[in-house]
Amino acid sequence: MIQIQDLHFAYPRQRPLFKSLSAELKPGSITGLLGKNGAGKTSLIKLMAGLLYPVSGKLSVLGYIPGKREVSMLTDIFLVPEEFYFPAINISAYLKAQAPFYPRFDKELMTTILTEFELHPDHHLQRLSHGQKKKFLIAFALSTKSRLLLLDEPTNGLDIPSKALFRKILAGSLDEDQLVIISTHQVKDVENLIDNIIVLDNGAVIFQQTIQEIAQKVCFVSGSSEERKEAIYSEAVPGGYRMMIPCGQEETEVDIELLFNAVTNGHKIG
Amino acid sequence: MQTNNSFSFHRLMLLFRQKLIINKRRYPLALAAFSGSLIISFVFAQTINNFGDWSNMHFVTTFISVFVIGGIAYAGFSFPPFRSKEKSMVYLMLPATNGEKFVFEILSRIVVFIILMPLLYWILANLEGAVFHYYFPELVNYKFSFRDGFLTIVKDGKFEFWALILTLQGILFIFIAPFAGAGYFSKSPLVKTLLTFSIVVIGYFLFAYIVDKSLNLDGLRPVGKDQIFFRDGQSVIRLLSISMFIINMTFLAIAWFSLKEKEA
Repeated sequence: MIQIQDLHFAYPRQRPLFKSLSAELKPGSITGLLGKNGAGKTSLIKLMAGLLYPVSGKLSVLGYIPGKREVSMLTDIFLVPEEFYFPAINISAYLKAQAPFYPRFDKELMTTILTEFELHPDHHLQRLSHGQKKKFLIAFALSTKSRLLLLDEPTNGLDIPSKALFRKILAGSLDEDQLVIISTHQVKDVENLIDNIIVLDNGAVIFQQTIQEIAQKVCFVSGSSEERKEAIYSEAVPGGYRMMIPCGQEETEVDIELLFNAVTNGHKIG
Repeated sequence: MQTNNSFSFHRLMLLFRQKLIINKRRYPLALAAFSGSLIISFVFAQTINNFGDWSNMHFVTTFISVFVIGGIAYAGFSFPPFRSKEKSMVYLMLPATNGEKFVFEILSRIVVFIILMPLLYWILANLEGAVFHYYFPELVNYKFSFRDGFLTIVKDGKFEFWALILTLQGILFIFIAPFAGAGYFSKSPLVKTLLTFSIVVIGYFLFAYIVDKSLNLDGLRPVGKDQIFFRDGQSVIRLLSISMFIINMTFLAIAWFSLKEKEA
């Protein structure tokens, strides 16, 4: 679905952001795109959406070259950016204006999600809070039934109940042929949601594995300083240590934050 | 279902529909504001002309001023989503081809103005004229006619082909130059376009002056002729028409590539 080979990208008059970046993503997953601030998560998402042009390398999204911005690709991709704009109209008018551009737009799904997010078609978009606007945009994105959803920091601005609702709605609204890429630095928000992890650092993909693969290789446990010696990576937490250890018989839930810190500190997993 | 990736009339119509839905309150307000200010301008101009001196030619002069200034201002704000990164993203990700978006901008910013503005002007001028004539009978020439105005400008009723082409290209230039500037510049497009245009014009005349003086071209001018390289005035108009056409096409190309290669 997405193929990236030797991708080079730099903003004008700046040092290269991506040097020989390669990755491959298949449909039917929710991928977490993780990285430190400035690692290039948003830029990579924009490259996939065709909003930026690579300097060199191959980038194929749904079989298209994104920079060409062909209509058949644009109807199949929806980007939820971190900062967004809405015109001064209500939800119902927005749907009338925008939905016809998406041939597979699911009105019933839109109504269902709006109800779950406690949004009403009469609500004026510019009078909504940032979190409500984001919820509306996520609802619209899911209703377009686009095969590729690019969500840039989707949980920023959402309150705690909304974050849980977001996870529930996203997991329940997707079809098997859809791919969702979530760029975030708030990894706790997407735990139990993502099934594939990509970590960006120093202009390259330094880690890409599924949650299942990770769970088979390493376990995430809490323990004392004595047990810490066995760990691949550990961090002090109140009352002891949170550790990543080689996995035995039993699999544990993946602690994405610990995994991310281990990976970005140069520790190898599997 | 196969998606048409080249040009779809249906999607072009969707762009118009989208614009109308989003601006359904703004358009009537803008129309009312424009009409109001035009009527106030008529009243003001007729008052300072003591009503009695007002003629169709005054209407024509006002029309030309409003048409040029209004046209530059309106076309100078083409591609409104390019004014901010967030709007640009929404616009560029909207499932319509660059061709459809480009044609939509030309139609909504240039063609609509060229067609509707004279019509609106004609209606308002005659309406205002009729109302004021009723209250101030000294306003004798209260009827406005484009045809009469046109015949006044073209005194013998003839309009040479190349002169017509040059006029049309000149009118289009008024719209196309700010249109291209609005596509090319993200922030303050109209100011930057006017500034760039001024620099180019001043630069051209400075260059021409320097060439003229350094090569002493004054001495080469044939006796009794205004131009050096042309046989007559018609040749000059022909060259200007063709140059103007090329300039307009170049500006349209700039606008097209600004849209096609826009990043956000």
